[in-house]
Amino acid sequence: MLVVALAVYPTFGTGYGVRAMLQIFMWIALAGSWNLISGLTGYVSFGHVAFFGAGAYTGAILISKASWPWLAAALAGGVGACAVALVIGYPCLRLKGPYFAIAMLGLNEVLRALVSYFEGLTGGGSGLSLPTLHATVPIYYAMAGTAATVTLLTYLIITSRFGLRLMTIREDELAAEAMGIDTARHKLYAFLLSAVGPGIAGALAARDQGYIEPISVFPLATTITMIVMVLFGGKGTVWGPVLGAVVLFVSQEFVWARFPYLHQLLFGAIIVAVVLLMPRGVLGLLQVKYRLPRTI
Amino acid sequence: MATPVLEIDGLSKRFGGVAAVDGVSLSLEPGRIYGLIGPNGSGKTTLFNCITGIERRDAGRVMFNGERIDGLKPYEIARKGIGRTFQVIRVFPELSALENLLVVTRGGLADAEARALELLRFVRLEGLRNEYAGNLSYGQQKLVEFVRVLMRDPSLILLDEPAAGVNRTLLNDLLDAVRRLRDEGRTVLLVEHDMKVVMGLCETVFVLDHGEKIAEGEPGVIQTDERVIEAYFGR
Ligand SMILES: Nc1ncnc2c1ncn2[C@@H]1O[C@H](COP(=O)(O)OP(=O)(O)O)[C@@H](O)[C@H]1O
Ligand SMILES: [Mg+2]
Repeated sequence: MLVVALAVYPTFGTGYGVRAMLQIFMWIALAGSWNLISGLTGYVSFGHVAFFGAGAYTGAILISKASWPWLAAALAGGVGACAVALVIGYPCLRLKGPYFAIAMLGLNEVLRALVSYFEGLTGGGSGLSLPTLHATVPIYYAMAGTAATVTLLTYLIITSRFGLRLMTIREDELAAEAMGIDTARHKLYAFLLSAVGPGIAGALAARDQGYIEPISVFPLATTITMIVMVLFGGKGTVWGPVLGAVVLFVSQEFVWARFPYLHQLLFGAIIVAVVLLMPRGVLGLLQVKYRLPRTI
Repeated sequence: MATPVLEIDGLSKRFGGVAAVDGVSLSLEPGRIYGLIGPNGSGKTTLFNCITGIERRDAGRVMFNGERIDGLKPYEIARKGIGRTFQVIRVFPELSALENLLVVTRGGLADAEARALELLRFVRLEGLRNEYAGNLSYGQQKLVEFVRVLMRDPSLILLDEPAAGVNRTLLNDLLDAVRRLRDEGRTVLLVEHDMKVVMGLCETVFVLDHGEKIAEGEPGVIQTDERVIEAYFGR
């Protein structure tokens, strides 16, 4: 039902509505991907928007300099982000706790500096414009597909022993090692998977907006929003990131937009409230309280 | 004499100025139960950590079934067939009891599940299989940790104070289980403070004091060894 409704929505929805849905799909893909590494293994990534930015630049460069079709460029964005994850995952994932979080924050700053520096390719600080293309509806479907794929992937992982092994890293990494689990390899796999969705979403967003610049695709605020969405909905669950993305995006659009000055304050208050009152998030709380299966 | 399952030679580990393990050598034969005793802080847990690769040794060699294993990663050592429990419980608290067992297996899931249920039945926790391990009682968590070790079918099992905090009924089950593992041909090395448990279970006992091995022998003989008595009571 919902799937059908979402599938036909662009045929009757307003331009604004379609764009808002597209954004929701994007946030689902981002939050769901952050959940794969941070919700499951407990390795909190504070620079996940780096993969979004890496994908955005990969896609935008291929479209503008090599005239790739946008769908192929979007997939390449996923591959590009995954390649970045591969390069930095190996050293960074040895770091524990806050050190990993900070290293990821650093990665984001480094990437932003790099794209600003290589002006010839990226347009540097003045950004990169893409040829005009009216493709919001096809991009809507592509973004929906990305969100659905990330969610399906999360489901498949959480219901597998691979997913349980990722959770043992969160629960007790040392015990997991002593039980024969190759935690380094598992963390790396989760990290690579968590980079693909943001990479594709970044390239799609770049195509949709037609223009990108370093500050627009590497903002720390985007990482924080992903984190808050997952914490609100329930980290380590399948539907938590979806719930968090929908609820937070909708409240942002329809409630907070009317109170522009309160926006930041409300957002901050939600973070504090979730962390203090509901550290497992909505679905995490229900899961523990009512013994719900892992598949929620 | 059969090849030793485990052969440790001159193993040392320092923490700053403390020689936690100091030139320890020992050898374990297959199908036997060994005890490791010594006052608190004498290096028993550190010795386990060095064998299982959790701590990097400073000097010495560890051979497992004739193959050198010091320097390997903990998960590699575990896969070779050494299983261990921890002095401080380390179950995966937000995984169910059943998941705690399943997660350490590879290969067919159906087989793993059958084996896990059999082991949970064996420690009478079958009814609690879907409970989060962190919600079980202390003794039950110890049992989950114990059977989790068995999921990988290890040939050498290191138990760090398995009896501490476990009630009498559970304790007897646990001791029976350890004997049964021995009868299946596995080797067990256990740290234990309760001398009654050690006397009733172990065929050979090693005594550590300040990181050094000060005695080795049958439990009855060990109890009358002067150095051992001094280590325990002499200061
Ligand atoms: N990670 C560590 N860092 C510093 N010192 C340690 C560490 N682990 C153990 N020690 C020290 O090493 C010595 C041996 O400790 P341990 O192996 O835990 O003894 P036991 O298990 O026999 O009680 C003690 O003096 C202890 O304080
Ligand atoms: Mg100890």
